[in-house]
Amino acid sequence: MERLAPATIAARRPPMVRIPTDWTGIVFAVLLSAAVIVPLLVVGVWAFTEVWRYPNVIPQQFGLRFWNQTLTRADVWAALTLSLQLSTVVTLLSAAICLPAAYAFARLSFPGRNVLFFSFLAGHAFPKFGLLIAIAAIFLQLNLIGTFWGVVLIQLVGTLLFMIWIPVAAFQSVDRRMEEAARDVGAGPFRVFWSITLPQAGPTIAAAVLLSFVGTFYETEGAWLIGAPGIRTMPVLMISFINNQMVIQYGAVLSVMLWVPSFIALMFARRVIGGGAFARGFGG
Amino acid sequence: MTDAAPAAPRPLIDSNDSRRPHGLLLVAIPVFLVAWLVIWPIINAIGRTLWRPDATGALGFNLDSYVFFFSDQYSINNLTITLWTTLVCAILLLAICLPISLYLRFSHGKLPAYVQAMAIFPMFVPSIILAYAFIRVLGPNGMVDILLNSVGLPKIRTPYLTPWGAVIGLVWDNIPLTVLILLSGLGNVANPAIEAARDVGANRFQVFWHIILPRISNSVLVAISFAVLGIFSSFTLPYLLGPASPEMMGPFMNRTFREVNDPLNAITQAVITFCFCIAFGLFYVRSVAHNQGK
Repeated sequence: MERLAPATIAARRPPMVRIPTDWTGIVFAVLLSAAVIVPLLVVGVWAFTEVWRYPNVIPQQFGLRFWNQTLTRADVWAALTLSLQLSTVVTLLSAAICLPAAYAFARLSFPGRNVLFFSFLAGHAFPKFGLLIAIAAIFLQLNLIGTFWGVVLIQLVGTLLFMIWIPVAAFQSVDRRMEEAARDVGAGPFRVFWSITLPQAGPTIAAAVLLSFVGTFYETEGAWLIGAPGIRTMPVLMISFINNQMVIQYGAVLSVMLWVPSFIALMFARRVIGGGAFARGFGG
Repeated sequence: MTDAAPAAPRPLIDSNDSRRPHGLLLVAIPVFLVAWLVIWPIINAIGRTLWRPDATGALGFNLDSYVFFFSDQYSINNLTITLWTTLVCAILLLAICLPISLYLRFSHGKLPAYVQAMAIFPMFVPSIILAYAFIRVLGPNGMVDILLNSVGLPKIRTPYLTPWGAVIGLVWDNIPLTVLILLSGLGNVANPAIEAARDVGANRFQVFWHIILPRISNSVLVAISFAVLGIFSSFTLPYLLGPASPEMMGPFMNRTFREVNDPLNAITQAVITFCFCIAFGLFYVRSVAHNQGK
């Protein structure tokens, strides 16, 4: 008798399964797809469009002409090279100073450990652009405005929290008993670190390094405020394209190009983001 | 092969460690950077705006730049639009993210997984690409206009370059973290508590109001704090999508610093944004510290 109950829905389904249709989920899925996917899809279409005049729903002519034009622009290459240089330098410096610090926070005890550990939150407890203005005022006196190293410093500070907190969690989750066991059979401290600690903490640390590289690549506000006019990174170039460039496709091509590193980050960072640890890092 | 097989029992070494400050050496550079590029600029900014030469050139306590800010109608308008944008964004974020998180908390399967992926997706879209996409979709003759036109409807009044432009962009940008924080809070709501309430006849709203909300109120506050800190002095999205006048504090500070070339007033504006956000910042730090301590 039960089978008769929900007439129309049950009719199309196999009779034994009576899962109610998840209307809430469908509504959320449709609305979020419309709000998240559609705008990016439109940008993707623009990147491969040669002619798209207003009232037409689809472009009149597709093609790669604007890829060619964008990629032969000197300012695009200069910005891309500069952004990659900046991200590489910042990430390497950040790893060099933060990973030893993370190890110390995770494993050693020293005076002021907790206060210093939480001091890295300070940068996130203030409105970011206000803080940047305060830093810029100091850089102005030091003649660091508009220089490569000024931007490196400002972006380096932006990576500290991630590059210390995520690796600290990674080092803490390493099984201490395995390290003890290795030491008991005669492994030296470096051997233990290399063969036991690093392989376990490595993937998470790699994710943190990747996040900081991608985050630095897209960092806009520090580069804009501290770097201008000498330093034009990719996002800064995008701003000027959005503000002053009449050719719509340049921005679209750049967006699609810029999207690639972000997509790689998405693939790699899923393990970090997925864990509740990430949200807890934000105080959730 | 330094095996050494230490003769002294290890606990002794460990307890000695706490007195030995060599850990300090390893953390010295990052800590120095925070002190130099976060703490010092803030102290310096407050000091420089409060303690400076007056008209006669004598160094002393001087509130002129603050008096100027609060007596200048243009500055006041900018502050007002910033407060309005922040408030509207916070309300919209809660209205959007709370239902999504509640749905995600109490469902399983492929559809919720898809909804979650969509809600977190904007985290991986740099705001500069978001700004560009916004203009192509909601800007004049954008995709929405094209679609409306194709079914014979009039164009929309585009939010591009209006306060709503900044609001839409900022809400979009902040959805992922808000959902993640709320979800993490909802993870602390135990199923038995909800089932017990259902058993005694509570409806969905009563369950939400009396059982769920009190347990996630801290997460809601953290999510709001985080959003407020990010939105109040945001720069890129309001600069590209919002109105030129009045403008939000971010673009305003940028213009004062770079185009008007007036660091003193720019720093004054920065200190004023600090003051407006101090409560949210402290609450945020307290919650994170509390969570880490668990």
